[in-house]
Amino acid sequence: MIRRLLFAALAGIALPSALHAEDILLGASVQLTGSTANTGRYYRDGYEFAIDKINATGGVQAGNAHQKLALKLYDNQSDVNLSVQQYVRLVSADKVNFLLGPFASNFALADSAVSEKYEIPMVQGGGASDQIFNRGFKYIFGTLPAASDYFSSTVEMLAKLEPKPTTVALLYADDAFDVAVADGTRPLVKKGGFTLALDERYSSNTSDFSSLLSEIKSRNVDAVLVAGHETEILNFVRQAKSLSVSPKFYSFTVGVPTADFRQALGADANWAFGMTPWLPSPQLKDPYFGDAEEFAKAYKAKFGYDPDYHAASAVADVEAFAQAIAAAGSLEPNKVRDALAKLDFESLDGRISFSEKGQIALPQTVIQIQNGNLVAVYGSKGFVEKPMYPMPPWSER
Amino acid sequence: MQLFLQILANGVLLGGLYTLMALGLALVWGVLNIVNLAHGAFIMLGAYACYYLFTLGHIDPFAALPIGAIGLFGIGYATQRCILNLVMRAPIFDTLLITFGLEVVFTYLAQLAFSADFRTINPSYAGANVTVAGITFPLVRIAAFVIALGLTAVMWLLLLRSRLGRAIRATAQNLTAARLYGAEPRHLYAITFGLGAALAGAAGGLYGVVSQINPYIGATLTAKSFAISIIGGLESPLGVIVGGLALGIVESLTALYIGPTFTNVASFGILVLVLIIRPTGLLGRTT
Repeated sequence: MIRRLLFAALAGIALPSALHAEDILLGASVQLTGSTANTGRYYRDGYEFAIDKINATGGVQAGNAHQKLALKLYDNQSDVNLSVQQYVRLVSADKVNFLLGPFASNFALADSAVSEKYEIPMVQGGGASDQIFNRGFKYIFGTLPAASDYFSSTVEMLAKLEPKPTTVALLYADDAFDVAVADGTRPLVKKGGFTLALDERYSSNTSDFSSLLSEIKSRNVDAVLVAGHETEILNFVRQAKSLSVSPKFYSFTVGVPTADFRQALGADANWAFGMTPWLPSPQLKDPYFGDAEEFAKAYKAKFGYDPDYHAASAVADVEAFAQAIAAAGSLEPNKVRDALAKLDFESLDGRISFSEKGQIALPQTVIQIQNGNLVAVYGSKGFVEKPMYPMPPWSER
Repeated sequence: MQLFLQILANGVLLGGLYTLMALGLALVWGVLNIVNLAHGAFIMLGAYACYYLFTLGHIDPFAALPIGAIGLFGIGYATQRCILNLVMRAPIFDTLLITFGLEVVFTYLAQLAFSADFRTINPSYAGANVTVAGITFPLVRIAAFVIALGLTAVMWLLLLRSRLGRAIRATAQNLTAARLYGAEPRHLYAITFGLGAALAGAAGGLYGVVSQINPYIGATLTAKSFAISIIGGLESPLGVIVGGLALGIVESLTALYIGPTFTNVASFGILVLVLIIRPTGLLGRTT
């Protein structure tokens, strides 16, 4: 009797786990609520969209069997400490096979320590800071281009504008990503022959830029480069208008590619420059979605808003695992980790081939809002469209 | 010199906005002895009210301010009457916990209802300004400043001169005596809390015109309002003006001369200093 009960109990435990073994479980903790929920949704939607698509095309071939992908997702409420706890739970309690990343560099910086400790590979498309990849970690891979490189195409373009700007102001928020952007941009500005008239770090979530803007105005700075968060950039543009501060050129690391930015600012969004490593171009071929343009259409139809590079990176993260698992022919973390390191394939996000440190290289296309439309103005092969430059005073717009 | 004067003007105008944001918190704190941690959430709700009245109802944001304020008065009145009145005689820790909980609830309901998208209230004149002697004054901030002063004066008059104000103050000073004279504390508490929420609602509308709105702006605004109330003191609405202006000017000058990373260090630094030197606030009565 006891033996029978024991057997039944064991079967009861074994049954669901046997079912689960069919699926390859990917775990992630992203910002679904809290201050960065607005960008976090790209990762939730991107992960789910890619997993559904890969499963619909037959799943992933690991060894002899075709296996489906499944996702275990937590909401970290835009709280770094909570996200670390959730990644620990994902690997220790939920026993996920592999990890997908959170949004934002400071999150990826903390969470990658979990993947490193438990030796479970994490592919993330939310953190670009060079700091994440400079620690010699073996289990972290990134599908965003390096933060230090964000402004390189912009500075390159600045040198070719007529009349050429001479003074540059660099403003950046005090978090891992934006500090890395500034550290990478400073030498570029000097090498380009510009004078760095203002180099200021401000605290994240600053809502008042009137002092900085007044300083920019009084020093008559030509070009302003801002590395910050979307809320800060919205405040920056609005307060620039209300204080009549109009440099010849301003560019922002985030916000400009999103539909949200244009919607919030209306006509005031015009003239703003930005950058994106990804545009929905039909030239970006993809093994699952056809190409990036088709992907963008299907994504918009499903979720009701346009994808930007965050969504494309999220999809590339899942695809990287699918490809690496197939190449490794196994679900063993170490083998998949080695397969990831050797990976080289064309995706809708661009070529996925990780460097020694674990990051991919993608050129940043300079973009500008022109008459309410997002326009690519400068890419790796030079000018694409004519940039609107110099920016006129606010009173003449 | 020009730059210094510009920064000073920026600081004064920023202080006006701060004053308006803190006014409601100081009123509720001073009269009801409730530190309302949901105050920032009320500001956020006021901002959304103004945003939707403007974008969907095509009502000018300044005309929408009183409508939003009345709506927030209702929410505030109901909150006090149905929830906070139950713990009025409990230790202050209970009201802190409850208002903290309310803040979380309002914030997440706002995300469900309005999404986490960033919004701005952007009428054609939102970026308009006037330049006097080379110094630029944004019009909307001047308006916010004037409205802040106006509402402070109205509140002062209301509390000092009107029958309602006297009843409110009497209830706060001596509950038993006020009751003997026929005051209804439950109703008066709710009116006071409602007034605080209405002031937050008006501040929210103006905040949306100069800044951006999302469901999560509340917590930082509560912290700012809290600091202003302490710096200025809770004795009179004038203290809130002094606190707001002090904070606005110090933050602006810090950003220019010390560095923009240090604005929060400066503002909470003054808070600590005031607590050490004048615990009742700059304008508070010393005993």
